[in-house]
Amino acid sequence: MAPQLTLQAPLELPPQDVPSYLDSLWSKELAEAGGGAVTFTLVVWEPSWLEQQLIRIGRLDGPISGLLSDEVLEAARAAVGACGLPPFTAPSAPELTWALGSLPGHHSTEDLRGQFVDRAISAHQPRRLITLAPTLAADAPLETLVAAYCPLPEEQHGSRGEACGDVLVLRGGMGAVGKGLAMLQPLIPDDLPCWVWWNGSLDESPELLEGLATPPRRLVVDSSIGTPRRCLDLLVERIETGQSVNDLNWLRLRSWRESLAMVFDPPSRQGALSRVVQLDIDVEGNHPVKGLLLAAWIADRLGWHFQSSYLIPTGNPEGDGVGAEFQRTDGDSVQLRMMPVPVGAPKAHPGALVGLRLICAPEGQPPLCVILCSESGGCMRLESGGVATMQLVEELVPLPNESEEMEMARLLGGGHDTTNPLLAAAAPLAAKLLPQ
Amino acid sequence: MTVSHTNPLRVGLRQERVIAPQCLVIFGASGDLTHRKLIPALFELFRQRRLPSEFAILGCARRPWSDEEFRRRMAEALADEIEQHQSAWAQFEGCLFYEPVDLEQPADVVRLGTRLEVIDRQRATRGNRTFYLSVSPAFYGSGCRSLAAAGLLKDPTRSRVVIEKPFGRDYGSAQQLNRVVQAAGQENQVFRIDHYLGKETVQNILVLRFANTIFEPIWNRNFIANVQITAAETVGVEERAGYYEDSGALRDMVQNHLTQMLALTTMEAPGRFDPEAIRNEKAKVLQAARLANEEEPWKCCVRAQYGRGGSAVNPVVGYREEPGVNPQSTTETYVAMKLFIDNWRWQGVPFYLRTGKRLPKRTSEVVLTFREAPVHLFDAAGGSPTANQLILRIQPDEGAEFLFEVKAPGSGMRSRPVDMQFSYDESFGEPSDEGYVRLLADAMLGDPTLFTRGDEVEAAWRLYTPLLELIEDNPALLPIHTYEAGTWGPGAADNLLADDGLMWRRP
Repeated sequence: MAPQLTLQAPLELPPQDVPSYLDSLWSKELAEAGGGAVTFTLVVWEPSWLEQQLIRIGRLDGPISGLLSDEVLEAARAAVGACGLPPFTAPSAPELTWALGSLPGHHSTEDLRGQFVDRAISAHQPRRLITLAPTLAADAPLETLVAAYCPLPEEQHGSRGEACGDVLVLRGGMGAVGKGLAMLQPLIPDDLPCWVWWNGSLDESPELLEGLATPPRRLVVDSSIGTPRRCLDLLVERIETGQSVNDLNWLRLRSWRESLAMVFDPPSRQGALSRVVQLDIDVEGNHPVKGLLLAAWIADRLGWHFQSSYLIPTGNPEGDGVGAEFQRTDGDSVQLRMMPVPVGAPKAHPGALVGLRLICAPEGQPPLCVILCSESGGCMRLESGGVATMQLVEELVPLPNESEEMEMARLLGGGHDTTNPLLAAAAPLAAKLLPQ
Repeated sequence: MTVSHTNPLRVGLRQERVIAPQCLVIFGASGDLTHRKLIPALFELFRQRRLPSEFAILGCARRPWSDEEFRRRMAEALADEIEQHQSAWAQFEGCLFYEPVDLEQPADVVRLGTRLEVIDRQRATRGNRTFYLSVSPAFYGSGCRSLAAAGLLKDPTRSRVVIEKPFGRDYGSAQQLNRVVQAAGQENQVFRIDHYLGKETVQNILVLRFANTIFEPIWNRNFIANVQITAAETVGVEERAGYYEDSGALRDMVQNHLTQMLALTTMEAPGRFDPEAIRNEKAKVLQAARLANEEEPWKCCVRAQYGRGGSAVNPVVGYREEPGVNPQSTTETYVAMKLFIDNWRWQGVPFYLRTGKRLPKRTSEVVLTFREAPVHLFDAAGGSPTANQLILRIQPDEGAEFLFEVKAPGSGMRSRPVDMQFSYDESFGEPSDEGYVRLLADAMLGDPTLFTRGDEVEAAWRLYTPLLELIEDNPALLPIHTYEAGTWGPGAADNLLADDGLMWRRP
């Protein structure tokens, strides 16, 4: 925990002793801290399968940190070819982790998950930080590690003593960690907000996710990791319960939404928004969720009604595209075509956006074509097809340069107990857009 | 900004900076500012989802209101707004609390501390507090002292104080107040409000200068002949006679708002976009500024009062006839002056500042007039070529304008001036945040960039000290002229520029 000083080395305790140990810790040793920081609890599901597999097969040095660091990404990119996967496979795609699992290797290393916390997160001084760290060895028994921390003296400006918290790590095979859930529940204080960060694929351990992320706990997921249908259905299901759901994949759309909004800021262009006739989106590889969320956001903001969606066969290894038809508020139709495109250097998460093209046909004016391109590559496909005859607005979309820990820290720094209304509107529509 | 178009794609994109969980404590919660400006601004932030769920507003004043009474009064004051956003208000009012507090009573402040701890638990506000002193300036110092004595400012990372203007009424009182405030907490805990800094266009001065490469090379004495800064109001003293009689235009507008515009226009580029780096440069340039004639300040300053004006149909009373104004008042409603900045960039460039009430047009602008071309090669349609001007329009019709010469169509080679325009309305459409929304958000974010630092305030007061002393000690040397309401000020103000062969720009 970079900026903080643990008062003790993490202590390994029998799981059944953890609750009483924590009670005595706060009532005796840290009694002056007045019960600890009045902040929040953060529960992190941190399988880090990719990092664990890369270390196991000797493609990465330890220790296991739980962070999607540059080193992990670099090693993962290098492993894509070795696993016989297509080059558009994103480093954090579960397919890569599965493929790595079939490679031989027995390297082991120290496991520091739960103790390597990004400075941006620890700066918010979580009252209790609980990490569930399943190991590759499915039959490993449950280990529980406990540590208390307080800010370093030079950071402890107020010297009020209450800004202290504790760290709890549950480590073991999947079965053992699942069993540890029962012990965990009473350790999450009821009177403080609790975030549950599902930092793994949404396909795995649905029962565990169900047990951890009970409302009113605030759920943080990444809809780019997992099968698209499962990702979108989970988002919709959770949003419908009224739970606060945050999707890192949605948050990574920020620069695209901002870039598109900027194009239509001048009032002279805003009229064209009611005359959109075509929307094209290119995405990396075969994970359409991010693109669908963007399309759904646009459709929702512009008041389009969903009519139908269908697959567009491509015959390419990237998979099929998605087509859809909407009806504008004036009854005219809008066509959506979202196509997977091959890329040689995919971004960290599956389904990153490559380009967007929005064609408007304002009455009595030449058509307006807006093209947004990812900073990292071109979008020649979108620049073809007769756009030269239109009024063309072309912008580069900057790549997000923040880690997920930074995004998490932003959420923890000032979160909401309800889902962002824009995501709440876009997710159900995105789920409809994905053909069954 | 007047345009009401909204870009549907823009909705919800202003949540980039996250306000940390906290309790905003408003002292003077029963006063006008709270229900007219602060609560509406906070409600706006709430509706934009820029306030976290773990948030509370604790109103404090002497009146023995309950939480419910406070909520009811705020709801009455915002009735029109609530009408359109009823469900949002239902959630927002759950954040509103009230505690009767007299800041002069130590026991009250101790009770306040206890209440804040309860709110921390109830609302998970993590012990973060922003104290907003919306009280009479006479209580700024004692208020800070009381908060410090109760230990409420002990943690500089979790507590801060926002202080409304005016900060002092002259150099000496500002120094004194700074001493008290800085003894109560650290400078980075103190947020002194200047409402002009909340304006998008004032902030844009920094971006225009330092995000573009074309301006900075010519932004100096070699290319700029003079600078005019104007803040004109069409209204009179309205219901503020009590306050205004004691302050006048010099204290009310020049020392703070016009001086901030001057500082942003003239400061050196900061090494990085960092609050302290920016405020260092502002303070430095203000320390280098001086009245054009400090020994005989009456030669570089004009004071005036509006007299009767208007039309037969719509007559306007003079200042001395306004309700609450002393019929023999010598308080200025208009002031114009000439300054210099003694540094390498600006040596010898005159800066003309003017502000007034009951002028023909409501406008604020900064006008940079460039030096004339060294040789006049062409005849000009207007007799002589017009000097290039860059006009930064602060309000209304926010934007910028650049005047330059082009060839007039037709035979011959005569030049005439034309302008290039940039308008916020035309480029962005979306209205920007109201000043209080921006400033409150920044204060709660702990970002002091748009707040004035202690040394800046002192430098600004020091700049006008010769004038303030003259008005105090020898007012006959700086007489009050009269101008007809609805005109651009007294003839003496025109003479101030005419002596330099210049004229005020007619906005």
